Order: sequence, then C-alpha cells, then structure tokens
Amino acid sequence: MLKSKTFVKKTRSGGILKVVREHYLRDDIWCGSEVCGECRDESPVLQRDACMESSLCPSPHYLIPDTNVILHQIDILEDPLIKNVIFLQTVLQEVRHRSAPVYKRIRDAIHNADKHFYTFTNEHHRETFIEREPGESANDRNDRAIRVAARWYGQHLSRAAGGGELQVVLLTDDQDNKEKAEKNGILVYKCEEYVKSLIANPELVDRLALTSDQNEINSGKVLFLEHLPLSKIQAGIKSGIYLQGTFHASRDNYLEATVFVHGEAAERKEVLIQGLQSLNRALHQDVVAVELLSRECWVSPSEVVLQDDGGKDEDTGEEEVEDKNKSAEASILKPTGRVVGIIKRNWRPYCGLLSQSNIKEATRHLFTPDDRRIPRIRIETRQASNLVGHKIMVVIDGWPKNSRYPNGHFVKNLGDVGGKDTETEVILLEHDVPHLPFSQAVLSFLPKMPWGITEEDVKNRMDLRHLCVCSVDPPGCTDIDDALHFRELENKNFEVGVHIADVSHFIRPGNALDQEAANRGTTVYLCGKRIDMVPELLSSNLCSLRSDVERFAFSCIWEMNYSAEIIKTHFTKSVIKSKASLTYAEAQLRIDDTSLNDDITQSLRGLNRLAKILKAKRVEKGALSLSSPEVRFHMDSETHDPVDLHTKELMETNSMVEEFMLLANISVARKIYEEFSECALLRKHPSPPPSNYDILIKAAKSKGLLIHTDTAKALADSLNLAEIEGFPYFNTLLRILATRCMMQAVYFCSGMDSDFHHYGLASPIYTHFTSPIRRYSDIIVHRLLAVAIGADSTYPDLMDKHKQATLCNNLNYRHKMAQYAQRASVAFNTQLFFKSKGILNEDGFILFVRKNAIIILIPKYGLEGTVFFESKDKPSPHIAFSDEGPTLTVEGHTFFMFDKVKVTVALDASNIQHQKIRMALIEPHITVTNYNPHNILTSGSDLGMRAKKKKKKKKKSHKY
Amino acid sequence: MATVQVSEAEKVYILHGVRDDLRVDGRGCEDYRHMDIETDVVSNTDGSAKVSLGYSDVLVGVKAEVGKPRPALPDQGYLEFFVDCSANATPEFEGRGGEELGLELSNTLYKVFSNKQSVDLHSLCISPGEHCWVLYVDVLLLQCDGNLFDAISIAIKAALFNTRIPKVHLSEDEEGGKEIELSDDPYDCVRLNVENVPCIVTLCKIGHRHVVDATLQEKACSVASLLIATTHRGTVTCVRKFGGGSLDPESIFEMIETGKRVGKALHTPLMELLKEEESLGKKRQKVGFLG
Repeated sequence: MLKSKTFVKKTRSGGILKVVREHYLRDDIWCGSEVCGECRDESPVLQRDACMESSLCPSPHYLIPDTNVILHQIDILEDPLIKNVIFLQTVLQEVRHRSAPVYKRIRDAIHNADKHFYTFTNEHHRETFIEREPGESANDRNDRAIRVAARWYGQHLSRAAGGGELQVVLLTDDQDNKEKAEKNGILVYKCEEYVKSLIANPELVDRLALTSDQNEINSGKVLFLEHLPLSKIQAGIKSGIYLQGTFHASRDNYLEATVFVHGEAAERKEVLIQGLQSLNRALHQDVVAVELLSRECWVSPSEVVLQDDGGKDEDTGEEEVEDKNKSAEASILKPTGRVVGIIKRNWRPYCGLLSQSNIKEATRHLFTPDDRRIPRIRIETRQASNLVGHKIMVVIDGWPKNSRYPNGHFVKNLGDVGGKDTETEVILLEHDVPHLPFSQAVLSFLPKMPWGITEEDVKNRMDLRHLCVCSVDPPGCTDIDDALHFRELENKNFEVGVHIADVSHFIRPGNALDQEAANRGTTVYLCGKRIDMVPELLSSNLCSLRSDVERFAFSCIWEMNYSAEIIKTHFTKSVIKSKASLTYAEAQLRIDDTSLNDDITQSLRGLNRLAKILKAKRVEKGALSLSSPEVRFHMDSETHDPVDLHTKELMETNSMVEEFMLLANISVARKIYEEFSECALLRKHPSPPPSNYDILIKAAKSKGLLIHTDTAKALADSLNLAEIEGFPYFNTLLRILATRCMMQAVYFCSGMDSDFHHYGLASPIYTHFTSPIRRYSDIIVHRLLAVAIGADSTYPDLMDKHKQATLCNNLNYRHKMAQYAQRASVAFNTQLFFKSKGILNEDGFILFVRKNAIIILIPKYGLEGTVFFESKDKPSPHIAFSDEGPTLTVEGHTFFMFDKVKVTVALDASNIQHQKIRMALIEPHITVTNYNPHNILTSGSDLGMRAKKKKKKKKKSHKY
Repeated sequence: MATVQVSEAEKVYILHGVRDDLRVDGRGCEDYRHMDIETDVVSNTDGSAKVSLGYSDVLVGVKAEVGKPRPALPDQGYLEFFVDCSANATPEFEGRGGEELGLELSNTLYKVFSNKQSVDLHSLCISPGEHCWVLYVDVLLLQCDGNLFDAISIAIKAALFNTRIPKVHLSEDEEGGKEIELSDDPYDCVRLNVENVPCIVTLCKIGHRHVVDATLQEKACSVASLLIATTHRGTVTCVRKFGGGSLDPESIFEMIETGKRVGKALHTPLMELLKEEESLGKKRQKVGFLG
C-alpha cells in the first residue's frame, strides 16, 4: 500500500520547496513477541514472561516509552533491570533528531541481546500508520502515532494465544498525552510512578532525571536573571550587542570565569565574568552570549582562591565576597561582562563525591564534582548513606533561575574513593575517554576466527615472508605495529624495510568498527591499563606483528647507500612473517654481544649503523632533542599497586627504531601529499612565538649562559653547549624548560592549511603512518597511501577536506585528552606510591619561581610540586619578588631558578577528594615558618585536574 | 493544430446540421461535450487538475515558488505559463513540432489569466519589491480532439482552485534584514480566490451560425473562430480571433453575447463540482490517469 508523505521546506537559497516522498505501508512487520502466533517472526525479541515486578502492574508487561522518557531517562533504560521494551520508530526518529548521543546510547542498548529491546517500525505498519491531521502539530501527530501503536499492541497481544496476561504499558511524562491514552484504554504511567513501583530495585529511583516541572518547584526567590531566548541572542550577536564565546570557569575562584570570544584572531578577546549573578548559571565549556558592562564596572581578576564551601544547602547570600576586589588598579582592569544567555550547553556526566545533607533522612544532597570548575549539584537520593565515601557519577538536568545550584540526578556508583579501579574509571570519565566495551555492532565487523591468510590475499600482496623481519618494542607490548628488516643488496647498497601492521585491511571505511575507531581516535595507555582503539582481537592478535606468524603489513622499503642516502623508495602491501619480537633491551644486548652473529643480530647492527647516520643528519638540520622527566612504575604483579618508580631509560635501540619510523613517516607524508595535495592528513608542529622562550633565556642568563632561539638549529646547538661544571642535571633541567616552551603538535588536512613545518623534527612535512593499531590518523594515512599506490579503492569522505578537517579536530582532541588522562594516571599512581612510602626527604631543583611560591622538581620521581609561602589564615612572611631573574626573597633568603633544595614529600589525605602530594622545605631553612611548617609551606600537587593546566609538550620516548 | 480531412459532402452535412441547431454528435450549438474533471492528481505540485473534454485531454500543474516581483508591479505576484505539447497527443508534436503551438497557447493564456482582474495578484505578494509568489502554470496536452483552449482554461481554473500555497510570514531583525519563515504545519496554507478566474469559450463560425466546443470535423468546416474569455459575471476579459476567414461586426457581437451566456452557464456548475470534490476530502477515490 502506497501513501505519500508531503512536507514543505525552505532551501538554503531562500526558496520554498514542496517535497513528496513515497511511503510504503506493509503488513509483514512483526510485533516481535514470543507469545504471538500471528506474526511469523523467526526469532522474536520480546520474552513470553516479561517479568519486571512492579506494584502498579503485577502481570507481565512490555514497556513503550515516549520520546521525552527516552531523552531524559536514558540512564534508567540502560539499567539491566529494564527489559522487554518496545521502541517505536516514531520515537527513535524523534530521539535521533533531538539528541545524537542519546540516540547512540539507545541504539547500543537495542543491540544488546540481553535487554530484549525491540524496535517496531510503526510508521510502515499498515495498521499503525497515521497521517497528520489538519491543525495538528508535528508533536501531537507523533504522540497520537505512539498511542495508536500502543493500542494496536495491546489488542494484538490480547488476541494471541496465551498472551492474555501480557500487557503493554505506555510510559509518558506528558499529562495531556497520558489523559488521551487513558481515554483510549491504554495502560499508561508516568515514568516516575512506574520506576517507583518497581519492587526489584528501589535504587533506580535515584537515577530518575528531574523533569522540567519538578525543576521549578524550588523556593520562590528568583536568584538569576532569565536567559534570553535564542532568537534574541542571535539578533544581538549580529548587531554586536552581545558576544558569543566559550565559558571557562576559574579553577580557583567559583565566582569568576572567563569567556573566550569566538571570532577571527584580531577580534579574539577574553571577557571576565565575576559574581554569581553575572555568571548566570553558565557552566564550564558552555557556549554563551555575554554582554559587556560599561567601562566603570570593569574589574581585575582576583587572585583570591575561593571555594564554594557553603555547607548549608540553601541559598545564603554570598554576595559580600564579590565586592572584595573592586579596588584594583585601573591598568589591570579587564573587559568585564555578564552572561545573558546560553547558546549551547556542554554538559557531560560529572564524577565526584556526595556531601551528605546535615539533616537526617533528607533526600536532597549536594554533590561536589572533582572538576573544580563545575559548581556543586543538588541531587535527590535515598541511598545517601551508602554513597558517602564513594565516587559517583551525576548528570545535570537543569538549573532553574530560583535555585542556587543546578539540579541533577545520580547515575552510577563508581566505587570507593581512592580505590584504584574507581580512580582509573574517574580519570577515563573526566577526560572523556570512550572506554566502554565495544558494542556488538562494532564486534560484528571483526574477521571470523579462525582466521588465516589465503592464496587470494597473497596474490595481491608482495610476499616478504622469506625476509628476516623483526620487531623491537618496549617490554610487555602486545600491540606491535611496526617491524623492520635489513639486507645487503648485490650492488653493495642496503635494503631497509619498515613494515607496519595493515590495520586498514581489517577496518573498512564507514562501518561501525571504523566509526568507533574514528571516535576513539587513539589507544590510551594508563599505568597498568590500556584502553584500546580497536578490539583486542585486532590490536593484540590479527594486526600485531608478532613473531613466527604470518601477518599482513604495509611496507615502506628503501634502497639506501652506505651513507644512508635514500636511492629509491617503494611502498607496497605485503605479507610478512616476523622472525623475532624483541624488547629494546634484548635488541641492545644482541648488538653488543660480539659472540652473536646470526641473521637477526646482523640486521640489527646494520640498522643501528644507518640509524646513527640518520640521526646525525637530522640533528644537523636542527631537530631538537628535548626532555621531560618521565617515570615508570613497577607494578606489583598481584595487587597492581606501584611498588617502585624510576625514570625511563633510553637505549640506542630506542633511537634506532625511532629513526626509521621518522623516516617512514616523512616518506609517506611526501608521497600522500604529492598524490593528494588537498586532502592529505599531515601533522605539523608550529614554531613557538619568540615570547615563549623568555623564561628559558632568563633562566639560562642567571647562570651566565646564552640561549639562541632564532631557529630550531640555534636552539638545539645552544642547548647542547649549555653545561655547568659540577651540575650535570642542569642540561636536563634546561631541556625540560625548553620543552614547556613548545607548541602542541597537531593533525591537519593539507587542503586547509599552508604551514606544514614540523619544528621539533625539523622536517618540512610529516605525518603519522607507523602506529595504525593505536592511532586513527595512521589508518587514514594508510588508506590514502593505499589509494596512491593503487592497492585499495577510495571513498568520498577520504577526499573531502572538510570532513577530514573535522576528523582532525576530533583526533587532536582525543590525543590531548589521552595525554591528560595519562598524566592524571601517573599522578594518581605517584600518590599511591607515596602513600605506601610515608614521609620522604628528597633532593630537588627549583624549576620555576612564582610571585608567592616556588615550583620544585624531584628528578628521582619526576615529581613536581609547589611550595607556597603564603597562607590564608597565617601571617605571611616577608616576600619580595623580582621579575629579573626571576628571584624570590623570603625572609632574607633568595631563591633562584635551578637552586638545589631539600624537601619532605608526603601524601596529604586531609581532603579526601583532592589528595595531594605535599612538599615542604627543609633546606634552606626559612625561619619564620619553622614553628608550623604544615600550615604555611603548603604545596599543591593536586591530583587529577592539575595536569590539564600545564601546556607542556611531552615527548614520549617510544612514540614517534 | 491537429486537423482532419473532411469531404465536401460531409461539410455540407455538418453545415446544414448546424443551421438547424443539430450537430453530428447530437448536441445543440451551445452545448459542450462530456467533460471529466479531477483535481489533485500530481502530488508534487501545489495544485493540479486533469480535464478531458471529448477526447481532448489536458493536465495542468501549478507550482508556487518564491521570486522577485516585476519592477513595474512591486506589490504583485505573477503567473507564468508553459504549454507542453506532448507527442502523445498527436504525432505532429514529435520533436519540436509542438513548440510553435505551445508558444501561441501560452501567450494567449498569459493574456487571459495573468492580470489582476482574473487573479488577485496582490495576495501573491510577500514583501513589496522583494519577495512574491510566482505561480508556474504548466499545461501538458495529452490528447487533442479540438477545443483545446476551453479545456485548458477549465483545467487551469480547477488547478488554481486546488492550489495551496504554504503560509509564510516575514520576520524582521533589528537591522531590517527580512527573512521568510515557513510554518511547519503542512496544512497551514493559503488558497487563491478563483471566483474571478475566467473561462474561455471558443466559438466557431460555421455557415451563418456559430458553435461552442467544436469537434475537429466542425473545425474543418469553419473559416474563423473567436476566443472569448468571460468571468462568472459575464465580464469579457479577452477576445481573440483565429482562422483565416473574416467575421462581420454583427456576427462578432452575436458571438460575444453567446460566449458570455455560455461562459456564465459554465462557471456555476464548475465551481459546484470543484467544491463537491473537495468536500469529499481524503475519502475521495482517486482516478488518475488510468481511469
């Protein structure tokens, strides 16, 4: 049966178009229930005894949620308790239209066979399709469609043999819809009353999101100004009354925030927002509209640390604090504004701790997020006593204008605070690292096991199984994505091959596996845990170039002469069989052991020799070798607690592998740029602005050394020369400082940018090709290269520079987050380590001197901490800061950069949520402070969020 | 235009018949042949109608698009006509054969319909000087069996009656920039007032008399014909003469009077029919092209 769907739409050019679509109705859409004998469904999804014990509806029943229930109560639906739910096509389409993330979550839940979720395509069912009536809004029409479908289900199931007991329950929070449904004789409940009626799991009630009408029932006092409607905001932005920008809350002062105004570089500016009223319920990362205040109202950022400690749940006036800093000098006044409206909320689930209400039996409690930039959230829960001392996850539902805090609801209990698993989970969540197990849809695209290489495969590839290929990796590495070979040719030249796991063979463009990998962007390595970008079958087995198994590879083979000059480059897809998987140390031993002369060792020596030449050439060109203190934990094999910690060691073989990987990356970058000048995915490292080096130059000057920063080469040379007798660590310290001056390296699409230079590697062009198992960028590069050499077919998105640019943005974001997560994980393990060690006295160096503090690095642990000389509640010592130097004089003692000091290091667990490594000076001794060092010499090596603040570039020894 | 060969004897027979107010198919001089009208036959137009008159078959589709008003008439919309002579109608139209006829027809239609006496062109204006609705009236000749103009004019009137223009309103931002906003309800639309839309009555002079709705045979007996467009009130909006022969003023006057009378008589049942069809709403069984 054919119907047509007609609608009118406006085209981008302003025209108006009538669109008519054919819409086919069918009568072979099954109801999906086991009970039904009428529908000839081969594998019905919905169970016969749909048993969810509810006091409202004791008989077995199926649930039909409406759109708003899904959008708001997705957390409930995801609970394992909720089964046998029918999702109507109408509802899913609406969900998809309104919230992509929720849609994705619901799709994943439907894919999960245990949930018995069924999608009913009611819009194509002959009996449930309805047409929009004149005068009916689209929403009303959809509500009616839902009711019609629910009614149909009820009648359909009652006809089925043995289905008499079975009922269909419509869940809706819309009063109007509910009344109409009741009139139609449909069993209908509000989501809240239904969830409350569930006998099996009373805790589920806490996860109920507050719907908008509940949000409003707070005390009548209006605290905030109404947000402007979007149309007004847009008009205001167009005419320049308002500015659009991203809201960045201050970490230290909950009454202060900065809005980074969007726009071209010239007009980009920051607007300071101060005071609860002006912040007007904006949250960190929201896109907001701000109105600039008149010049006389401008203020300067306060230096005060303010934490929202208002223990009382209610809205006590805290306005008095706001006016503290009005008396600042006019010169440092910043443009100040107030938030008039929210353009886009960027809320995410937040992790943190519950602060239990003082009133016993209260169900409303405040929740303190780990991220200090997020205000406290009021949630309703009956299990507060169980949740105290646990990390929990909370989602914000809304922030009514008469409430001091946003309202939210409890989602998940992550476990004991301070527990290893809990904290790891928190790190992953807070850094937005996708770490859920791969969905069924994703796994369905994996190759079927047992998997083997067929003749057909070999025909299209270069057979390199006879070559003596081996891999060198850090110990314990299971995702081996690169291997090398070396042989001497008849013409006395050398053939060097870099073989990279052919991941793009397994991950085909556009499928669920590919989309998931593109979203994850990178594998995240935490201490003792790895969050894979691709499922383990690929990462640790089929793609991993392990020894003695045949694997597909993408090979880059050079012919080189004796002085490591490239004569010829050849790219090919290949089949290899690695002869050995070595660790850096093993490879080093083989090279050094003169008694060994087998093929592998010979190859390694040959490679090593060429690598040294390559490195020398690279350094000659001005490649930087930087440094950052990097630590490695020795984990206890049983408890997975860190038992020892030492800085990572670098061997010759590290650099050997690195050189060839760099070479492969550069060769590939050239090739793909040559073929696809508009859409090559490349990596650049911009040269930092000269002002970035100020601190480095000043610091070196204080020791009587001159650092040239005009070019990378000059910098590299002067760093090499910067040595102080009797202070061997000085050079490393300088390199650490230099590292912090650098910019972040980023992926970009060649068609969208003109500056390709990689500053750190001194290469005019660079990309990532060598780690496709753990980086999605490499997969794209593989695909580009495969198209370039005619080994694979292309697809439209690959050649679309705008799509590529969007992808690059995601990859850059994921990489950044992965790094932060890594650092947070290291910081947490450092804490665990110091927890077990007690108080230690250690030597350290002053890395930076600040106005009221010094930052100390302890090389032994690669640990950094701040020693403050001021404190809130104690008289401050006499402090003099000098910008020259910079130096800080405290009570007669002057601190210079690079000074050697002695500190005590201990874990401070006084604040359970923000545990810190506390450092206190012992040498030199500051007299005023000696009577109570703990209150004055406080330090902050605050876990978790600290890492985000620093924009340091961390160069991994084994990641190129 | 499609013509048939008629022998001398046949001509005399027809001529004599007409003189006695008795035509070959039994009609009187002022009678139309059987007529079928169906509206809303093409779903992707904003209004459409199919009319068959005898074996003449025409399909009319109306598409409304947003355009710029003509500079001379900034506060009015306008109509555009295009007549497509399908080779289905007659083999002569094959290739570019129908082009000339198409052009002639569309020019005439433009004269008859696109004026503010026929259609309320002011109602098509969205914002003066900037936006207006342009109604593209596309006529497709499916079969020619004489008297195309009358069939086309009825089909156009029916299609315009059926036309539903999406309701738009102008939103103005503070800088004075105007933007067209569209209602999201597909049923929310504007209809045209077709009361004054004229119908064409073509009169063929045969002998001393004239006939309405001439068949091809009758046409072959006539040397001149007169096209008269009249509204339901009998107001003549356009008169055109076709054919090589001459007409004396006396008979022109007579023909106009007949045209007015016939036209008036045509409008009333047509409107009743259209309203009746519409009142059936969705229950109406569609006939379409296979009926």
